[in-house]
Amino acid sequence: MGLMKKFIRILCAFSAISASCGVSAAAGGSFDIMSFSGPKARDLYYVITRDMDAALLSMSSGKIDVLSDIYRPVDVERLEASGSVNLSVASSYHGFFVTFNLRRFPWDQKELRQAAAMVIDRRRWVRDLFAGYCEPLLSFLPPVSNYSTRGGLPRFDAEEAKKLLSGAGWTWNRSGWLVAPDGRELPNTRILCPPSSVAATSTEIAELAAEAFRSIGIPAEAEPMDFQTLLSKVDIGDFDACTNAWSMSLDPDVLYSFYHSSMNVEGGSNQSGIGDPELDKALFDLRYAPDERSARDASERAQALLAELMPVIPIYSRYSISAASKAWDGIFSTDTSTSDNLLTLISMTPSDGSERPIYWNIPEEIRTLNPLVSSTAYDWTVLGTIYDTPLSTDPYTKEDIPWLAETWSITREGSGTALAFTFRKGLKWQDGYPLSAHDFAYTLQFIKDNLVPRFYDNVKDIDKIEVSPDGLTVKVYMKNTSYWHLHNIGGMIILPKHIMENVPDWRTWQPSNRPRTAADGTELTELIGTGPFVFRESRTGEYVHMTRSEHYFLNREAGQ
Amino acid sequence: MKPFLRRLGGCAAVMLAVLVLNFFLFRIMPGDPLTGIVDPRFSPEAKAQLAAQWGLDRPMSEQFFVYIKEMLSFRFGLSMMTGTPVWDELKNRVPNTVALLLPAMLLSAALGTALGMHAALHRGSRSEKLVMLGGAVSFSFPSFFVQLLLLMCFAYLWPIFPLRGTTSIPPPKGAAAVLDYLWHLALPLFSLVILGFGGFALYIRNMMVKALGEDYVLMARARGLPARRVIWNHAFRGILPPVLTILLLSLPGVVSGAVITETVFSMNGVGRFLLEATNSHDYPAAGAAFFLLALLTVGCNLLADVCYVLVDPRVRREGVRE
Repeated sequence: MGLMKKFIRILCAFSAISASCGVSAAAGGSFDIMSFSGPKARDLYYVITRDMDAALLSMSSGKIDVLSDIYRPVDVERLEASGSVNLSVASSYHGFFVTFNLRRFPWDQKELRQAAAMVIDRRRWVRDLFAGYCEPLLSFLPPVSNYSTRGGLPRFDAEEAKKLLSGAGWTWNRSGWLVAPDGRELPNTRILCPPSSVAATSTEIAELAAEAFRSIGIPAEAEPMDFQTLLSKVDIGDFDACTNAWSMSLDPDVLYSFYHSSMNVEGGSNQSGIGDPELDKALFDLRYAPDERSARDASERAQALLAELMPVIPIYSRYSISAASKAWDGIFSTDTSTSDNLLTLISMTPSDGSERPIYWNIPEEIRTLNPLVSSTAYDWTVLGTIYDTPLSTDPYTKEDIPWLAETWSITREGSGTALAFTFRKGLKWQDGYPLSAHDFAYTLQFIKDNLVPRFYDNVKDIDKIEVSPDGLTVKVYMKNTSYWHLHNIGGMIILPKHIMENVPDWRTWQPSNRPRTAADGTELTELIGTGPFVFRESRTGEYVHMTRSEHYFLNREAGQ
Repeated sequence: MKPFLRRLGGCAAVMLAVLVLNFFLFRIMPGDPLTGIVDPRFSPEAKAQLAAQWGLDRPMSEQFFVYIKEMLSFRFGLSMMTGTPVWDELKNRVPNTVALLLPAMLLSAALGTALGMHAALHRGSRSEKLVMLGGAVSFSFPSFFVQLLLLMCFAYLWPIFPLRGTTSIPPPKGAAAVLDYLWHLALPLFSLVILGFGGFALYIRNMMVKALGEDYVLMARARGLPARRVIWNHAFRGILPPVLTILLLSLPGVVSGAVITETVFSMNGVGRFLLEATNSHDYPAAGAAFFLLALLTVGCNLLADVCYVLVDPRVRREGVRE
């Protein structure tokens, strides 16, 4: 109870931050990015501190200003007690599941999966294991998604689970174990999980799930194993059940990857092996929905079917928790976005009016700053401040908002979709050269022609690309109809054509190591985008130094 | 000369075996390099493109041929994690690791030897008990605990050392940069010395106690040789070969890094890189790192043999140890 009180205090603190951030944004109303101006700080250092305890000491002693990925309850309490930081909490993209292998008996039996889902006491588990610093996952999508239909899952009720099985013809033998309606005894279910030394709570949840299954007569036990071995076994379908965690997306079409039968192939993400015609149809309708309304309908239908078919049991979702030093004003957060975001970076100013660098912590080394091959979230923390996209997401409502593109449209063109993005006037690259719609068209064509894996799925359906004569509008024709094309294309980074044309091999391109002279003679590198900060220097394993871009479209002090 | 050449031939055979095993063991291990790169939205086609990008779609024999070529030419290929040449990645990290671990090893050995000798020569004294206790504590305490404690005390509560890394941010220029580097190395180095001297102290003490009771030491004393000569020229020289072996075989560890130390002090070293390369199945990086470590181990083993010849007259007479 004490912990819950502390957590409520944190939430209150977080609300206070949101209320006092001093940036104009209408909560729940229309969010106007043009009400922001910045970046205010001249220098930004991404500091690499690998050990969480060392990072917390750095945060408490004022050596770093922003700290992300805080997940241990004890750390939250320590930071809260320090009094020198503001904490922000938000629902996240994370989801933790118990997945069944539907290719095997007994988990190919729908009633058994439904009954198993009814003995999962996720609220108690979250309370006991995470001291309330996570939320029970009540849907197949992350809580932060607007498409998540919370509450569709069966309630925790062991007696009801037994009744359901009994009604479907299941019986119990003398030892109390379940017997299928056709007389088959249940084999022991091994729930694969990582070892407790790697992920203690995952192992604990596997143990709790096994115990819950046994309570209704399903022989089950947790089987901790090396994580890579676990993944290999799951990939080839050699498992009964397993625990797994995903970082998902705002868009619900991720459900297609997880549960459509066409993804039940080598390299596909349909780990449970579910293949249900009705679900397939709903997922197909979702992926190729022509508009937002049909997408929402198909998403709800798919989630309702999943709640009935139950190939996986949603368990919990981690909160995203971050800390920002009280020595800074302009920290921006909402109930769906923690303070470690781009708007904070733009707005941050020292409370005492001095001029000093921002020290932003990263817990892992930057692996590569080649945007075409980079894959880790930490690489993208840095790249996200360099490269921009045509559209962005409203930090309150998670709806699309204009970013580099001032307006956009999505229309049906025969059996395909046409997307049009009109860019703001006067946009410039960080090296001072003007940005036009040609750059975006070149980026899309480059990725399509070179089959760049990281973005391949975004551009594979592009039929043709046209640029208006004034160089402000790009029209992208897609071969098929899908509402998600808007996010797949509108969420793409834009690369500078004048640099990309001279890249010898995109796979080995190291833009941060290749010098380039800006239009005004400044020595930069080929790591040039349109974002708020310009890359200056990176020391492997130590830090990345960036400075304010004088050409950023929100940098009004520099005349943008 | 002949036994030495035979030994060299043995080393070459070991390296060949390492080269082959290095290729196949990583590929037999469960998991694949793409797991850490893709997210659930990756379609099977996109995953296939990624496999093609890294040549993982080619026949195993072709991959093996490319691997052998890269290893023998010391180019090592591109790291799958970073997309940069593995040689550059290692070049970036080895200096930090060696700058920390070599002095740590030498200081631990020197301190351990001095204390071990003192304890052996003052048996039953309070100082011997103190060395035994200190050695046991140093030897048995978990490194992460000691290092976090040091960080807490000397970088946070009494901030005379930095909390992280090998440089201040922003880094100073010129000679100040060297001092800054040494300042950053001080606490991790100190932690490794206090964690490492205990093993040496206990080992040296035990070996010396045994050596001091040997007949040849008694004989030297009976001949009326000065105590200092008996201790250093007879007893200590007798234990030198195994001590040298331990020291030389620790050398590859100086390059392979100290994962926990690098993590706690956020240092850019080989240890973390090697661990991450292995965990993420970065075949070129892990393959190159293990190949180089094997080369270093075999080299140090050979060097230990040579040193044996130099310090032990019996080996000189009987030929190189088999």
